[in-house]
Amino acid sequence: MISRSCSALLIVGHGSTVNPDSSAPTLAHAAEIRRRGIFADVACCFWKEEPSLRDALFFFRDPGIREVYVVPNFISEGYFTRTVIPRELELTGAGTTRHGVQVWKYCDPVGNHESMTERLLQRAREVAPGAAEAETSLLIVGHGTELNDNSAVAAKEQVEKIRALDRYAAVLNVYMEEPPLVSDWLKLTGTKNVVVVPFFISDGLHSYEDIPALLGIESGSDRGRHELHGRSLFYSTAIGTDPKFADVIIEQAKAFDSRKPVLQSAS
Amino acid sequence: MSSLAQEVALGKSLAAGLWCIGQIAIEPQENGRFALNHREDAGRNDLIAHTQPEKAAEIARFDDAGKYRPLKTAPNLRRGWRLVLESVAELRVALDLFYPGRLDVFVAWENNALSATPLRETLARQTGMYRVAAKIGEEEANTLVGNFCASDGGCLRTIMWRRDENGTTPSTLLPAEKFDPRYDQTGLGETVIPLLCQEACNLLVAEARKSVQGQDRRGQ
Repeated sequence: MISRSCSALLIVGHGSTVNPDSSAPTLAHAAEIRRRGIFADVACCFWKEEPSLRDALFFFRDPGIREVYVVPNFISEGYFTRTVIPRELELTGAGTTRHGVQVWKYCDPVGNHESMTERLLQRAREVAPGAAEAETSLLIVGHGTELNDNSAVAAKEQVEKIRALDRYAAVLNVYMEEPPLVSDWLKLTGTKNVVVVPFFISDGLHSYEDIPALLGIESGSDRGRHELHGRSLFYSTAIGTDPKFADVIIEQAKAFDSRKPVLQSAS
Repeated sequence: MSSLAQEVALGKSLAAGLWCIGQIAIEPQENGRFALNHREDAGRNDLIAHTQPEKAAEIARFDDAGKYRPLKTAPNLRRGWRLVLESVAELRVALDLFYPGRLDVFVAWENNALSATPLRETLARQTGMYRVAAKIGEEEANTLVGNFCASDGGCLRTIMWRRDENGTTPSTLLPAEKFDPRYDQTGLGETVIPLLCQEACNLLVAEARKSVQGQDRRGQ
């Protein structure tokens, strides 16, 4: 169980060597969780930024810290969560004992959390507050298959869940690099309102430049409403920039304990 | 919340007179406060003051030309700011954003708990797009490290790792002080909390990959 005296949190992000905004949401969520005083210590590490995952091996050396919750701030399971993070952090399984007394608990990525559907819906409502859902198509943008991960699968699962709620006129997956393409949004939808939510962790080059270009709106333009081809197009920031992701990170840490009672006793 | 070991260690380092880290000067204030600024901004009275430790991330993100700094230990920290912090705890948070991870690595070193990883081991561990980086030749690795990690224009860290498990020097092009934790890598000659590098960073691995790919292309 998370304790403010002996539990630490390590949030793992991808980061970028070219995009200054890539790590910003992860750092913001860490700052928010730190402010709440739930954990004895909160740190971040990144694959492509500092501190590195290897640096994190030297974190949490306070003898009072008995457990470290490792939460990947990734949209889905895949190459990073299954290969890179365990390798770089030298995790040997769901629970890894360090220094004799400290257990590193490898939690599910944030994108796996059950609240993700509600987060997407909330994002859609925020960007298009006046749009009646019955007259609105909701497009969830995924990366596509360029990366060796399951982000497209995760995006598909979310769309199915939202579609099952039967609130929106249509709910569709669109991708940047494979059909159905985000650039075909006009053909894919028939409603007056179209809401587009990027299913990404951060607002990077994709959501600042690539997706706006594919939608036909100005590159780097403000999020929000755009009138195009007689339709109202609402373009949201990346789902991972939602401040509520801080709650999701905490929930994923809590979920580790409720799902893996056997490992707890092994610590 | 109890004082963490790192905060205690930081307090001890300050008490021992280590008032500089990288390009940052730490100045003790009244009531346990600290004021931070760029070492080259000492004496300036036109600095823009901030009080939130998280502001450090924003200051560290871009250089004076507005260019993104993917390597926070590069010698191009922005100038013109002053950050006033309330406590050692806030100081630790800020320094961790200016120089991510360096404080923990320094504390591990002070406690004789720092293990360095040879460059060859780091490269051999890579998978996916970086797997090819392990193919870098000895001469190319020597040149790459000599250029990329140089304190003058490259990185202000003190290299603790060796090129391989035989203890080969990371680069014959770097001066001996590049491997000396007591040396002020800025060249200003003060007593500093060193920015220790226990393992090649992802940026260097990426450069090794580029070097190998460039060589492959030249060989075709």
